[in-house]
Amino acid sequence: MKKPLHPLTLWISAILLAIGVVALDNAWIALAIVGAVAFLVYMRRDGSPWERSFILSLRIGAIILAIRTIVGILIGVPIPGTILFRLPILDLPSWMPGIRIGGAVTLERLSSSLHEGVIIATMIALFGAATSLTSPHKLLRVTPSFIYEIGITLVIATSLFPQLATSARRIRTAQKLRGMENVHIRSIAIPLLEESLSRSLQLAAAMDARGYGISRKRSRYRPMQWLMRDNVIVVLTVAASAVMVAR
Amino acid sequence: MITFSNVSLIYPHSTKTILEDLSFQIQEGEMVLVMGETGSGKSSLLRLINGLVPHHTGGILAGDISVDGISTRSVKPGSLAHLVGIVGQNPINGFVTDIVEEELAFSMEALNFAPDVMRKRVEEILDLLSLSALRNRSIATLSGGEQQRVAIGAALVMQPKVLVLDEPTSALDPIAAEEVLSVLHRLVHDLSVTVIIAEHRLERVIQFVDRIIFIEGDGETSIGSPDEILKNSELVPPIVKLARALNLSEIGTSVREVRRATDEIRSRQYPLSDVVQRADSPAIEVSDVSHSYGEKLALNTITTTIHHGEIVAIMGRNGAGKSTLLHSIVGLHAPGKGRISVNGQDPTELTGAARRQAIGYVPQEPSDLLFASSVEEECAHADRDNELVPGSTAALLNRLVPGITTRAHPNDLSEGQRLALVLSIVLAANPEVLVLDEPTRGLDYRAKGLFGVALKEYATQFNRPVLLATHDVELVAELADRVLFLAEGDIVADGTTLEVLLSSPAFAPQVAKIMSPKPWLTVSDVVHALGDVS
Repeated sequence: MKKPLHPLTLWISAILLAIGVVALDNAWIALAIVGAVAFLVYMRRDGSPWERSFILSLRIGAIILAIRTIVGILIGVPIPGTILFRLPILDLPSWMPGIRIGGAVTLERLSSSLHEGVIIATMIALFGAATSLTSPHKLLRVTPSFIYEIGITLVIATSLFPQLATSARRIRTAQKLRGMENVHIRSIAIPLLEESLSRSLQLAAAMDARGYGISRKRSRYRPMQWLMRDNVIVVLTVAASAVMVAR
Repeated sequence: MITFSNVSLIYPHSTKTILEDLSFQIQEGEMVLVMGETGSGKSSLLRLINGLVPHHTGGILAGDISVDGISTRSVKPGSLAHLVGIVGQNPINGFVTDIVEEELAFSMEALNFAPDVMRKRVEEILDLLSLSALRNRSIATLSGGEQQRVAIGAALVMQPKVLVLDEPTSALDPIAAEEVLSVLHRLVHDLSVTVIIAEHRLERVIQFVDRIIFIEGDGETSIGSPDEILKNSELVPPIVKLARALNLSEIGTSVREVRRATDEIRSRQYPLSDVVQRADSPAIEVSDVSHSYGEKLALNTITTTIHHGEIVAIMGRNGAGKSTLLHSIVGLHAPGKGRISVNGQDPTELTGAARRQAIGYVPQEPSDLLFASSVEEECAHADRDNELVPGSTAALLNRLVPGITTRAHPNDLSEGQRLALVLSIVLAANPEVLVLDEPTRGLDYRAKGLFGVALKEYATQFNRPVLLATHDVELVAELADRVLFLAEGDIVADGTTLEVLLSSPAFAPQVAKIMSPKPWLTVSDVVHALGDVS
């Protein structure tokens, strides 16, 4: 059994790397970091439902990259350079000077849009990786006690989300198999709402029955330990991001 | 240990009395079964014991309940956590953390136990329930039986004197169910834990229990030893039906007892009944189908043919690939390799009305198909979808379960009624093939009987195939012509119900266990054979 890293280590590293990526502003290095992180996530996956959040974050990143590129090509201030192709120019009223929709698309324009998109997508992927390696439940265990009450509420809410997604998919497929091609929001939302309500009630009842909230103080079973390797990893990422910021 | 004195319970906005003037006492170390039809109030009775009803659900409670001298009226459910452990119907919905060990420690953390006490108790529970190998596993990756054991462990870690379980085996295959029940048996006998359990499949639990509380509906309840209660009850397991059919003087609750009483019947010779082999034209053809999820192989080159007019049960342990096979057949996903054809059509290409007429599919959660706000609306929708005369679906439903309130919200129906509603909606399209995934979960014997009749009628009347995945061996014995037995994605047995069920001791129905080595699976088989002789 691979012993997991301290959840804070992962989050600190993710934040430091994100700062470094923004400061350095180099798309190639950003992509290399995403590749390294993807490898790390693949190596340390443990089959928990949170694991999928990295893939999800990559998808969101890709969508943002696409939108950023399209918007970047269509709208904005013209950048001179090698002209790739021309789009028809949309006439804008005279009180919007300096902004143009359509027109010549230069190589410089395209690459700067792509570049910005990659940086944003990298930040999202970094946080997705941190979530997929430490579930919110684990992070909760290292948060100080006085916000525990808020924390546990958040845990219930967040543990419902993956369940909601699975249930929605299950209901959708069941209805497709009934030959219902046109999805009405109502026909998915109603069974989904009923199910999640009854689930939340069951979870609340289970917590109630197990003595949650009876004692003002809580003890911790096997507190997470901050080990030497956590020190090493944090020092290394601090160094890496310092180098990236200094450049 | 537990005292109910003159307890009555009604829920607000409901005219039905759940319990009326109920008084009983349960001693330490007793194992008590709560039985009754679906929706009769079994869960309410269980949750009264630790005060979840009415503290958590509302409702009007009269009378008094005390557990180990503490009245549940005066304290919150959490304050009884050290006294009463409760395991819900669906353990996965009650888990708060995601690692086995942490889940076991949750209650103790909440009650501020010292870390060394926690460590010791968690180790004890891990050993007691043989969970040591799973201690660091993520709960989501465990099998149904393992999850159920974790849920029991999470309750036991508080060293409660009372353990309350609501249908602990309903989602489990026969082997996993036996594991869970033997754990309970050991708790009762070795640690004198008082166990109160609600269950529909009496054949699984009846031999373990000391007393039965029978909720008859409309507030009527009776309490007594299994023999007393089952003598006059309508809800009885096959073992009691057999004793009645054979006119045995005593009804027994264990296979051993009834075997002794039927020695003489088994020793006689009987003519072999002719097996009627009907070779009909193929309806569903599955050839070389493999499917995997990531690295896990769920189906491994499956080849089989389902014929017209056949009722085929797919059995196997949890995670053997039953649902994957059904999903491939109904066209939920294209199989990774191989080909499936349903009456010559590729099921993944079917859409809309053509799909409804080709394949009728009842999913594991029948309510996934329901979205209207009343039974009436739901039926009218099915009529419109299938261009039927208004009222056709409602008429079909009325034939399946007479006397359903058409104004009711589908959510307020009992499990059996809801299944009947979904079945009539699916059947309204007059599908060529009927496929059902675990249809009888949570159904009582009466509802199961009605459901079996409906399926048999569909198969014989129209000469169409029915395919169902199920853990319910008694249902299979009554209903199926043929059994496909899956293990780890392979078909390990494929034959008549008689052959397959008799060859596996864990999956044999009660009657077969009693009458072994005679080839009888159901009470009617026995009656038939005896009738042929006399």
